[in-house]
Amino acid sequence: MNSQYQPKIIGFLCNWCSYAGADMAGTSRMSYEPNIRIIRVPCSGRVNPLLVLKCFQQGADGVLISGCHPGDCHYNEGNYHTRRRFALLRDFLDYLGIARDRLWVEWVSASEGQRFAQMVSNFTKELAELGPRSES
Amino acid sequence: MARIGVFLCHCGSNIAGTVDIPKVIEATKKLPQVVHVEDNKFTCSEPGQSSIRQAIIQQKLTRVVIGACSPRMHEVTFRKTVASVGLNPYLLEIANLREHCSWVHSNRKEEATVKAIDIVRKAVARVRRQEPLISKQIGVTKRALVIGGGIAGIQASLDIANAGYEVVLVERQPSIGGRMAQLDKTFPTLDCSACILTPKMTTVGQHLNIKLMSYSQVEAVSGHVGDFQAKIRRKARYVDTSKCTGCGECAKVCPVTVKSEFDENLSERKAVYIPFPQAIPNKYTIDKRGYPPCRFACPAGVDAQGYIALISQSKFKEALEVVRRTMPFAGVCGRVCNHPCQRDCERGIVDEPIAIASLKRFIADYEIKTRSEKVSPIPRTKEAKIAIVGSGPAGLACAYDLVRKGYAVTVFEAMPQAGGLLRYGIPEYRLPKSILDREIDYIKETGVEIKTSTPVEDIGKLFEQGYKAVFLATGASASQKIGIPGEDSKGVIPALDFLKEVNSGARVIMGEKVLVIGGGSVAIDSARVVLRLGSREVHLVCLESRDLTSKDRMLAQDLEIEEAEEEGLIIHPSLGPKRILTDNGKVIGLEARICAAVRDEHGRFAPKFAEGPAPTIEADTIIVAIGQRPDVRAFEEVEKMPFGTIKVDGVTLETNINGVFAGGDVVAGPTGVVVESIAAAKEAAISIERYLEGIDLKEGRPKTVKRVKEVSKEGVEKKARSVMPLLGVGRRKGSFAEVELGFDETAAITEAKRCLNCAVCSECLECEKVCEAKAINHDMQDEVVEENVGAIVVATGVNVSDYRQFGVYGGGVYPDVISSLQLERMMSAAGPTTGEVIRPSNGAHPKSIVFIGCVGSRDERTGKGYCSKVCCMYMAKHAVMLKEHDPEVHSYILYPDIRGPGGKIFEEFLERAEGIGTTYLRGRIDKVSQGDGRLLVSGQDLLQNKAFSILADLVVLATGLVPSEGASKLAQTLNISYDAKNYLLQAHPKLRPVETFTDGIFLAGCAIAPTDIPESVAQGGAAAENVLKLFSHDVIDAEPMSSIVDITRCSGCLLCVQVCPFKAVEAETMRDGRTVASINESLCKGCGICVTACRPGAIKLRGFSDQQLLAEVMAL
Repeated sequence: MNSQYQPKIIGFLCNWCSYAGADMAGTSRMSYEPNIRIIRVPCSGRVNPLLVLKCFQQGADGVLISGCHPGDCHYNEGNYHTRRRFALLRDFLDYLGIARDRLWVEWVSASEGQRFAQMVSNFTKELAELGPRSES
Repeated sequence: MARIGVFLCHCGSNIAGTVDIPKVIEATKKLPQVVHVEDNKFTCSEPGQSSIRQAIIQQKLTRVVIGACSPRMHEVTFRKTVASVGLNPYLLEIANLREHCSWVHSNRKEEATVKAIDIVRKAVARVRRQEPLISKQIGVTKRALVIGGGIAGIQASLDIANAGYEVVLVERQPSIGGRMAQLDKTFPTLDCSACILTPKMTTVGQHLNIKLMSYSQVEAVSGHVGDFQAKIRRKARYVDTSKCTGCGECAKVCPVTVKSEFDENLSERKAVYIPFPQAIPNKYTIDKRGYPPCRFACPAGVDAQGYIALISQSKFKEALEVVRRTMPFAGVCGRVCNHPCQRDCERGIVDEPIAIASLKRFIADYEIKTRSEKVSPIPRTKEAKIAIVGSGPAGLACAYDLVRKGYAVTVFEAMPQAGGLLRYGIPEYRLPKSILDREIDYIKETGVEIKTSTPVEDIGKLFEQGYKAVFLATGASASQKIGIPGEDSKGVIPALDFLKEVNSGARVIMGEKVLVIGGGSVAIDSARVVLRLGSREVHLVCLESRDLTSKDRMLAQDLEIEEAEEEGLIIHPSLGPKRILTDNGKVIGLEARICAAVRDEHGRFAPKFAEGPAPTIEADTIIVAIGQRPDVRAFEEVEKMPFGTIKVDGVTLETNINGVFAGGDVVAGPTGVVVESIAAAKEAAISIERYLEGIDLKEGRPKTVKRVKEVSKEGVEKKARSVMPLLGVGRRKGSFAEVELGFDETAAITEAKRCLNCAVCSECLECEKVCEAKAINHDMQDEVVEENVGAIVVATGVNVSDYRQFGVYGGGVYPDVISSLQLERMMSAAGPTTGEVIRPSNGAHPKSIVFIGCVGSRDERTGKGYCSKVCCMYMAKHAVMLKEHDPEVHSYILYPDIRGPGGKIFEEFLERAEGIGTTYLRGRIDKVSQGDGRLLVSGQDLLQNKAFSILADLVVLATGLVPSEGASKLAQTLNISYDAKNYLLQAHPKLRPVETFTDGIFLAGCAIAPTDIPESVAQGGAAAENVLKLFSHDVIDAEPMSSIVDITRCSGCLLCVQVCPFKAVEAETMRDGRTVASINESLCKGCGICVTACRPGAIKLRGFSDQQLLAEVMAL
């Protein structure tokens, strides 16, 4: 395991909960690993699984999808769709030879800044252990 | 070719302190189509914005990227900047370099800079793909919805209404006022809370622009800013508020009392109540929670809680009226019913079920004792006359209902007297004939005609005689035969024939040794009658087991069996009759066999016998009581079931003949349960009325009723049931005197008072009788209304957490440990103790009072790590007030910390509290215990570093504030955010304190976080101001991020229609016949679920299209 290796993470955060939660982490000056690049979407339900695969193709070592907690979706049901789609995608990842744990789907609410920071750090650490995606 | 301008903000040192801006500028300059890069110290300031504007004009920029704080901060600001010089505001992208970069990686400058470069590059790639978008224009409905009628909600409503706009104020309690209405005085000015609140409440109540919906809740909200649709459930009050004058006569006669929630359980209120004297609206509300379990279990729906509540108030006549509203047999059923109500009685969970049947019997007997007047016949309002065949319980109950509906009714009875098996089956000692006669007389008084000794064989003749409908209720009084050898011998008597003879008054001579075969009520009745006729030995043989807990138990009632054994009956259980032994054609005994099981695993009657020796029982008379059946010969033209019972429709009770109905044992078989026959008769009466009026028979049937859900047993102490006095065993021999003697008045009232009043309002209808304004209507239903508004203010407030959870401080354990809100109620002049502070244990005035602060606040263990803000101040207030009431009182305030933050004269107020002699002790409390009739509070004094223990008469817990119940659910309904403690989230805690992330929805008061009255009022005003800001426009711009279908790619699969949460997508038929999806822009909220769901990728979400997101991914 290369100690210089820094995993590259792309995160899709929903505007109403997760992106705000990440903002909250910022305003609270929480620290976390700088490996993540965040793309804002209106709802986690907007994220097309094919786009996630594109991320892996482009060299991402890990992809994070984050939305509102079930029941709290700003658009009522978007996160339920997310949940289903990505449960399906994870199985598909096996078929593609991509380690399942490279895809994380998490629910972060707008007040959970600390949780967001913790989660990104954890994800980064686990991906560092898994190694680069091109090799596994 | 785009001309992209990138503006990087230092944000003072917030970004520049971590991110190396020059390096980012350098990297960005190299990006394709970037023609201008500049940096700025504070881009959002006027010079910063000016710089952007200039650059756009001078450099002819077509796209703009701003690397700064989160777009959630200033995207709107910068859009305006860009639009002001003519560039479409949606050709702008914000790169989040602060919250997502510099602020979270402040100690990793190199990596932060790399990340910043990436983020900017991503934004540039995206902005290249952005298209100009035109904002949607939304019309603004200038009406507001305020949810919550506490002081914050009241203030917001008044401010909006006074500006000239209509407000719908929804409050779920019967009155507005919230927590502030419960307070006595307010800190630090010691204003009387009611005095400053009630004028505002009254203004709300009278304001022409405020539509107050009290006792109502918001169930669903859809729409968007400027155009919300809210579904509001207006709960049934059972009082017409337009007629109610608040006179209070109803509350005087209501027999049900429960604890008053407004007085924090320190006082009681009636089921019909106004929560407090200054309530707005000042109208009564009836707290009715459904059908009580007793009424729900009764097949006929007799309102047991109703008459029991009235008995507890000594209103016996009125109680009997309640029973008679449903059926006429109070005395009969009170004696013979198998009372499923008692089986379901919630009191049974505490100790024993209420003796409901015995109470019903008591009121019937009371009427006989006090000789009330005859009732007048019910006026006949309908033409038709109806014939009923059979005067048993079913026939008579049906007649009773029909005559009350205004019909003429004639009951035909074959026997010489009316009553059916009530007279000819049930023995005198269980149901005296005098009781039955009295109730039959009552039925006759209402106008029912009974023709005895008049059998009916031909239904057709009845119709010829002019009857328009017929109810067959001939019962099942023929005995069943066992079918064993010897059954036709002399000395073998069918039980029902035997009972008929005895009950007719005939003198029946029994043998010396009598054997009864059977285990049900008829068998026991027969046996006990035989015992009274003087036979030497009476035995009983039955298949069933004597073990009354077994599933194979004897079917007779427990008490009957016990009383029979007391009287001398010898029971031989688990035996089946094999052969009747005779000598010269006369009975001499019974050969039996062992019965191993009676019912199979499905509960069906399927006896299994075992081999082996079984006793032979000697007898000179055998009474066969193994079952009843209807007389199979009767009414051949009516369709029957194989068993011989009449076949009817399960809901309407119609037979196969038009206009002929049937019910009771003749349909159900020998169930032998009187109240079920009555229930069937009542349904038949409904069917007959509908049949005659030409109304559909099945509509709305069977009627659905809701059983009350949870019944609290809090504070209910165990108390034994009143005991039914019985005639001594010795006195029973040879006598048919009634065995159960009935309760006396004291026993009845005491027993009735054990009732838990499960449904609260019992529908006894005493209130209706005294309401002169005729405002009471117990048939009201909840009403759901829809209101169209442009803005919503959420002011749902807080509650005080339950002090009873804190057993370590004595909460819920010792009566003299109370909550601060309870103290507040005691101190209130209009409260439960009219302003006297007393010890709950003995009513004495406390001299030593200990306050414990931070109970459940600032404590992560209880899940509430926050400070509840108001407790320190109100404890000081309490100390000051108590000293004013009684100079001899000494107060101790035990605290981990004391705060008197900011505010006007807050700190000075705390000093005043200390100055009057209150002991402030910074301590950690170990426990509160009891000693010497007082309470002992012990712990560690943290400042002096030694133990302390204080003897107190009263301990007051300052428990923390928690958001009102249901706040999170309401937040989900409105799609607004809330935190882990269920407080609602503000758009920005400093700059946008009363806004939410959702446009058009605002917050005020403690729903946001615990706060005091002045701040709640200020926030109410601020929320109102935001609403008025919105209403100052007729039309507002809304985000144009909606989805659109490319019909050239649409395959018409319509998956998008299914997934859209807002029903914004519809199917549309093109001119060439193809079906495609079509999105309604004004309904589309821009979530993008359809985009992902779309298989051919035909849907584009403007502003978040696939191209744009892909560009971002590719750039990383």
